[in-house]
Amino acid sequence: MSSDVVLVIVVATALVFDFTNGFHDTANVVATSISTHAMPPRIAVAYAALLNFVGAFISLAVAATVAKDVVDSDVITTTVVFAGLVGAIIWNLATWYFGLPSSSSHALIGGVVGAAFAASGSAAVESAGLVGKVLIPAVLAPIVAFIAGVIAINLVYGIVGRERPGLVNRGFRLGQVLSGGMLALAHGTNDAQKTMGVITLALVANGSLSSDADVPFWVVVSAASAIALGTYFGGWRIIRTMGTRIIKMDAAQGFSAQGAGAAVILASSHYGFPLSTTQVISGGVMGAGAGKQVSAVRWGVAGNIVVAWLLTLPAAAAMGAVTYGFCNLFGNVAAGPIMVCLFGLAALAVFFSRRLREEPLPAGG
Amino acid sequence: MLATLVDTKSLLQSVVASLVAGIGISTAFAILIFGISRSADLARSERSALATAAGVLAALAFLVVAASIVLGIVVMTQK
Repeated sequence: MSSDVVLVIVVATALVFDFTNGFHDTANVVATSISTHAMPPRIAVAYAALLNFVGAFISLAVAATVAKDVVDSDVITTTVVFAGLVGAIIWNLATWYFGLPSSSSHALIGGVVGAAFAASGSAAVESAGLVGKVLIPAVLAPIVAFIAGVIAINLVYGIVGRERPGLVNRGFRLGQVLSGGMLALAHGTNDAQKTMGVITLALVANGSLSSDADVPFWVVVSAASAIALGTYFGGWRIIRTMGTRIIKMDAAQGFSAQGAGAAVILASSHYGFPLSTTQVISGGVMGAGAGKQVSAVRWGVAGNIVVAWLLTLPAAAAMGAVTYGFCNLFGNVAAGPIMVCLFGLAALAVFFSRRLREEPLPAGG
Repeated sequence: MLATLVDTKSLLQSVVASLVAGIGISTAFAILIFGISRSADLARSERSALATAAGVLAALAFLVVAASIVLGIVVMTQK
């Protein structure tokens, strides 16, 4: 009975994480389209939400890989999964508050690793998987997107530089609808599946599902719905950072950034490297900006983003470990997660009631 | 040490595919816009052969862009 209560809490927490993932990562997909006026803000966000929902149904093959490759699955309990999710949610909300695009995927991985470490020590962490499948691709991917963005925008300006600006801008704005759509689909496929994997892992750890069972359909539908809803409610702070604070983009730069980002995400996924859409598109945006004019990129903002990237894994891991330690204080399997949820709900209620009074949504958004 | 942790071959293939696709899609789309723009300008100045050639270039670029989108969706479904 007690373990079933924890399972329900874990599933609910995973869906909250999925919501924050969509909420937080909306910026990756739509910020450049909004800043170049390729799409009105609400339409862009609704479009991204719809394609995130569809993307979640496209493939289920990677649903369980996140937790399986980075921690020893034998030590996973529902409390470890819960603590990992809480660590990731706290980091997502903290970076959202400061308007910093950081990786929800790495927050989830960090949270689970930290909680598993607190539960069972260093033997619980699959260091080879963590380094080979997470850390090295995490460093390489935004660099590759940056280089692709620099080369692409230079080629684009070389080809269309003498054409009529009106036609060129209209063309690239139309192109951004397509490239933004591809990004949204890739995001839904990647990120919703990570939540599906975590819920499935909790079901297996609880004995509610055999380890070789398929991801249940209700898990797919609920994860797809949560990420789509989160996307629709959108993180406007991060949209501002991605869309205008790194560089002021034209439509060609927006298209090149999104094209480079989508290509890196899809190619890396094809070769089995789980990636952060946030890091990749940030690299693409900086590349498309630097390719036109190095000084056009606000390197201070870019530096803050890099710091957030570097901190994400250890910070989420620390929060996951602390949450696990707190849950462990109560001994009883269900009491700890219930207490954490009550604290979290109270904190969120206070925070959002203050924010809603202080900061209305931006015009048109 | 690092080579034992990382599948270097897949990583390199991933980097090359990312660069080719990322640069290729933007270039193809730019050629599409260039072709449309030039085709319209040349047709207005009654240079129909060149206008047709620019139109064909635009059509080919459109096919590359469309194929890239289909390939991207296929990659997603095969993960």
